[in-house]
Amino acid sequence: MVTKDLESSVPASALKPMRARRFDVLILLWLALAAILAFLVINPLARLLLASLESPDTGAYTLANYVAAYGRPRHLQALWNSMLLGAGVTALCLAFAVPIAWAVSRTNMPAKNLVRLLVMGAFVTPPYLGAVGWILLAGPNSGWINRVWQMLTGASEGVFNIYSFPGLALIIALYSFPYLFIFTTAALDVVSSEMEDAANILGAGTLKTTFKVTLPLVLPAILGGAIVTFLEAIALFGSPALIAIPARFNVVTTQLLQFFSVPVRAEVAAAYALPLLLITVALYWLQQRLVRRKGFVTMTGKGGERRLIELGLGRWLLLGYALIVLSLSVVLPYLVLAQAAFSKAWGRGFSLDNLTLGNFTFLMFEHFTARQSIINSFAYAAAAACLAITLALGIAYIVQRRLVPFAGVLSFLAMAPFVVPGIVLAIAFYAAYAPPPFALYGTATILILAFTTRFLPIGFANASAAMRSINPELEEAVRIQGGGRLASIRYVVAPMMKRSLIGAWLLVFIPATRELSTAMFLYGPDTRPMSVMLLDLSEEGNFERLAALGFMLLAATLLIVVGASLLLGRDFMMRRNAT
Amino acid sequence: MFDRPFRTARVRPAGAVLVSLLAALAIAAAPARADMKALVEAATKEASLTWYTAHYNAETAETIGRKFTQLYPGIKVNVIRTTAQVAYQRLSQDIKNKTANCDVFSSTDLGHYATLKPQGKLAKFVPENAAKLAKDYQGLDPDGTFYPTAAFLVLITYNTQKVKPEDVPKKWTDLLDPKFAGKVTVGHPAFSGAVGTWVMTMKKLYGWDYFTKLEKGKPQIGRSIVDTVTMLNSGERAVGAGPSATTLQSMEKGNPLGVVYPEDGVVIIVSPSAVMIDAPHPNAARLFMEFLLGTEHAEVDAKDGNESLRPEVKSVMKGLRPLTEVKVLRPTVEEAQKGIPEVIEQWRDTFGN
Repeated sequence: MVTKDLESSVPASALKPMRARRFDVLILLWLALAAILAFLVINPLARLLLASLESPDTGAYTLANYVAAYGRPRHLQALWNSMLLGAGVTALCLAFAVPIAWAVSRTNMPAKNLVRLLVMGAFVTPPYLGAVGWILLAGPNSGWINRVWQMLTGASEGVFNIYSFPGLALIIALYSFPYLFIFTTAALDVVSSEMEDAANILGAGTLKTTFKVTLPLVLPAILGGAIVTFLEAIALFGSPALIAIPARFNVVTTQLLQFFSVPVRAEVAAAYALPLLLITVALYWLQQRLVRRKGFVTMTGKGGERRLIELGLGRWLLLGYALIVLSLSVVLPYLVLAQAAFSKAWGRGFSLDNLTLGNFTFLMFEHFTARQSIINSFAYAAAAACLAITLALGIAYIVQRRLVPFAGVLSFLAMAPFVVPGIVLAIAFYAAYAPPPFALYGTATILILAFTTRFLPIGFANASAAMRSINPELEEAVRIQGGGRLASIRYVVAPMMKRSLIGAWLLVFIPATRELSTAMFLYGPDTRPMSVMLLDLSEEGNFERLAALGFMLLAATLLIVVGASLLLGRDFMMRRNAT
Repeated sequence: MFDRPFRTARVRPAGAVLVSLLAALAIAAAPARADMKALVEAATKEASLTWYTAHYNAETAETIGRKFTQLYPGIKVNVIRTTAQVAYQRLSQDIKNKTANCDVFSSTDLGHYATLKPQGKLAKFVPENAAKLAKDYQGLDPDGTFYPTAAFLVLITYNTQKVKPEDVPKKWTDLLDPKFAGKVTVGHPAFSGAVGTWVMTMKKLYGWDYFTKLEKGKPQIGRSIVDTVTMLNSGERAVGAGPSATTLQSMEKGNPLGVVYPEDGVVIIVSPSAVMIDAPHPNAARLFMEFLLGTEHAEVDAKDGNESLRPEVKSVMKGLRPLTEVKVLRPTVEEAQKGIPEVIEQWRDTFGN
């Protein structure tokens, strides 16, 4: 049957016998992919290392850049602040994500679909937009929360100051916890109830079983998620720019920006960024070890019986907790952002004479570069997603089929950008491709290549997972018929993986539309993406326009997500089988 | 009091305006007209220009860009509005990578021009309109590489609902009063050129001590000086060191704001523009420079509450006072070049970032 399908779908030209071919075309493919990865991954990182060790004027070997980078207490303080911030965000994310994940995956908590939908809402919200929402909510005197508090208690001071270290940690956590949620639910979804039953039979209650059996089983997944959260938190640029400057402290990313102020000291930035890279590599290695050592023997396959834990009153308490967290993350910020986007002055509150569409019309029709930057963002994200998925598909094919020696090198390189924070990648690309001979500074090409590199690991992980599910015999049928490797990829593998590839494409596309830190230092006036324009607008503190721009970004993203979900018949990130 | 006194800008009386207007008309003879025509033609062929500007808030900057396109159809202005130091950072990055992106560079930090000029980055160009500026704004650069094209003031600004009339500050030192602790808003000198100029001027008046005292009152620090307007409007803060133009625009829209011309002096931000030596659109850039120095642009500026640089255009914004009536503090180009980088470092040490 497969053969018959092939005859009808593979053009005759692709099935010509190829006697002349001396070696498998795959070797060529391997070489091409290796060359691309060398260009995207190895060269920028090598240039970063070299730049950090070179005197910018003479090119001589020097450690002066490291002295400049670490010689000042203020710079060390920024590094320490980032570590603290990462730890604080991770702790908060654990508190937010794990109970909600457990409730959604293992209990009979009501309104699960609503909770999942809101978690997805938090996932697609750009962190800097969330930060703007929280400035409106918790500005120390004018924030809605503080105003209500003052009104209710008659206090002269607000209750929560967003311009503070805890404030920054909170708003980063509110938009990072979906990562941990996804990691945790994915692991909990395959834990069978038998182990829990054993504990129950031995007399343990629900709580004890959960803490002694269920959670330890998924601990590696939780730790893995926690490490990703930590890495995300220390690499973030947008929220610290909005919060940490008024709160008067520095983190690594805002400090890196300072090295790019005049005189531009990219080499000092490189020296300052490398330890950040080492930290992430070390943590990633730790995560790999944790996952390996604990093993997943009890969780292989989905064979075991799964029953939901029946909770009484507890299920309502859990729902209440989930809704509080998600209100803080999604509902309240969007409420105040909507108010601001349609206001002349958000501080004047809800009144008819304060209503306006002016913020939208200004951005659409009066602002010369706003429209262009929206188009830029979506065009670059789409191009990067296509490139990343094409690359990922090729690499996954070679790696999975083990057809050439040293295939593993490719998979290592494809995953390597995962540990490179966006802002470090930007500096590496800047060092490698901004100056001649490439002279790509400010071009669309350098932005697209940087985005492709940044999100290649997501594409690769998804493509390999999908590839694993395809039986090689189907391709062998093509080969028996005389088709080449490429024909088998084009006519068999790619069509069969279409759905999962669209899902993977979206997982690259969405974060790329709002990527800020990778775009830093690389864009020019004509290639400014929306994320950077948002940052420029935020200098003036014009939150009404920022909110309006954020809504336009979000509306466009949602349109694409909803369209793709309809196309795929499922939501693209949370579950493989929607229930 | 100063080793070199600040020059006080004076707007000239109406009679003198008339004389200079007539003189200008006399100078604007036929040959210059022909030059202009050739420039417009060449500029129209280039079709666009990129303008890095820190002179205005985003709204006024976009209005000015559109006004130019209206006057010279077919030439679009790619307006990149940021704070002065961010604009300068991007320009320096462009220069370092030998990528010419910027045609006209408009910063609020005079020092940028003093640094760029000896590096040969600024084009020498004598616009026809340069000689028609008010006398106080002429001859900023004797070599003709940069010209003032805008000016606004740093004033004491306040929220009228949060500050009782008897408490309204009268001079800069009043911002240090403990009753304003936790109520002051300012921009950041490492971003805003106007804030850098203000900080440098306060330091000259009162020593760095002014800022160690200000720090004790925990001011809210934004980035652009325009941010202070938002902070006052929303009631987040009560008083600030804010920009004249954006604050007055906001008052005009009905927001509860007030401005004070401090007794110890208003700081004037005379903001130059320059055509870059490697401008990708050299003719459009020069035409834009003519436009920035011309009356059509001066009218937009005057309407939005900036100072008018052309004697024949009068400021019409309510709340703006003639500079002849007040004490004006105006630092020199050399002071800015040396002083602003210094105060940025000092600021970071005092305020933490």
